[in-house]
Amino acid sequence: MTVQNKTLSRGEILKHLRTQHPQAVERAQALLKEQKHMQQELCAFFREKPRTVPEAAQATGIPASKVLWFVAAMKKYGIVVEAGMCGDYPLYKKAEEN
Amino acid sequence: MDNLRIDALIIGGGIAGMQSALDLADQGFQVALVEREPSIGGRMITLSKVFPTLDCCSCITTPKMSAVAHHPNIHLLTYCEVQSVREHGTGFDISILQKPRYVDVSKCTGCRDCEYECPITVPSPFDRNLGAYRAIRVPFSTAVPQKAVLDPEYCLWCGKCEQVCPVEAIDFTQQPETFNIEAASIVMATGFDLTPMETKKEYGAGKLHNVIDPLMMERFLAPTGPYGRVLRPGDGKEPTSIAYVQCAGSRDETLNITYCSRVCCMYAIKQAMLISGALPMAEITIYYMDIRTFGKGYEQFYQNAKAMGVEFVRGKVASIKEDSDQNPIVKVEMTDIGEIVERTHDLVVLSQGIIPASSPILRGGSTQAVSLPLGSDGFIYVPAPDSAPCVTERAGIFVTGTAMGPMDIVDSIISASAAAAEASAYIRENGNRVEAHKEALYA
Repeated sequence: MTVQNKTLSRGEILKHLRTQHPQAVERAQALLKEQKHMQQELCAFFREKPRTVPEAAQATGIPASKVLWFVAAMKKYGIVVEAGMCGDYPLYKKAEEN
Repeated sequence: MDNLRIDALIIGGGIAGMQSALDLADQGFQVALVEREPSIGGRMITLSKVFPTLDCCSCITTPKMSAVAHHPNIHLLTYCEVQSVREHGTGFDISILQKPRYVDVSKCTGCRDCEYECPITVPSPFDRNLGAYRAIRVPFSTAVPQKAVLDPEYCLWCGKCEQVCPVEAIDFTQQPETFNIEAASIVMATGFDLTPMETKKEYGAGKLHNVIDPLMMERFLAPTGPYGRVLRPGDGKEPTSIAYVQCAGSRDETLNITYCSRVCCMYAIKQAMLISGALPMAEITIYYMDIRTFGKGYEQFYQNAKAMGVEFVRGKVASIKEDSDQNPIVKVEMTDIGEIVERTHDLVVLSQGIIPASSPILRGGSTQAVSLPLGSDGFIYVPAPDSAPCVTERAGIFVTGTAMGPMDIVDSIISASAAAAEASAYIRENGNRVEAHKEALYA
């Protein structure tokens, strides 16, 4: 794999990459802001007691499909865990922190 | 990457491409396998189980992936795309683009520390965008190679991945690179896509959360699926009523897809049986025009599904809407009783048609890079399908798997071995094998 000038410092390389991909960086920044906010809200909600996706959607005002997608992501990375069922819906709770 | 001189180039790292590569390499030929994704495995590695045996797909595919990666006669080129193919006297000159992973694969151990540290969560195409991974990630748990890849479309270039990498594998200086392969023959194994949901406006045009495609259901049924169970994507409910709409994109003149996609009846029956196991209380309905169970053991499989309580309703689904609770309402003409009825389900799966993969090398009605003519159905044209089904119009180029047309996994593997046999005979006949052969494994 070809490399650029390896004499550039790490910070300079990252800065250069940010200027090379301005739209992608802008999109990623907006996404990060949204996801941080969503994670804070959902984690606070799931910390209280196990809840379903529709309950979380109703409490946060985030569409249920989006809540489910984010809950699936948080479950994959060990941030929330399943905690039984409530009718036809799985319950989720915040994972215990080490 | 240095330029390569090989006997056969396989384009596509799905089950057909891997089988062709292994068959040729086992005969002592030098083979390169080019895959545009960061991992080989193709569609099959995303599936749950195969029909009619219900064997685990991953258990069949991963040993082949591993065999390809470790075969001494196979050069595995992942995250690469074919740019152009130029014919010369004894073979082909192929230009390949190596996309940057921003990870030094010789150092990366696949530990995923970078993935856990990355702050951006993005939709995972491996899970049909219903699951997620991070902007830098190992593509999936059984990926080959088990190496991380960074997606510049979602990267903040914050450098957190670099800070946590224990082997200093992150390399932000990587650039796209082009290199050349000289090959005596080519095997096209470029695979398939599904007809886009957007094209079926009467079925919600992909806007109804609880109307999904069959590959999404495959992911729900797979042990590594996005939810770890079968849930509907609209609100996370465990569905108690699931419907399949057959021929939703095949045998459809409005889409100019007049052919039968061959596998939809069987995968719908297979999924229905698997759902019956995962959700024993669920009612499963398959709306069909006619059931086509053409393979060995397939008819018995169909009869078993009926005996298990799967409801088969003969009728054509006219439209799908949803109620206020996001439940899909299916309007169907039940041809056996001559009535039009509306039925509400929790989840609907559209058995979409199979079309050629949206590979850049096949885009535009003719193969741009490889310059192969396509048939009227859009798949690679084969002049003599009855006598030489893997031989294309261009000498030295062969085709296999669903790049030829819709087919199931069994037929893909058979056609892969057939294409390898054709390529082997061609290379031997033309006497232009590369000089530095390694010993045939099974000579």
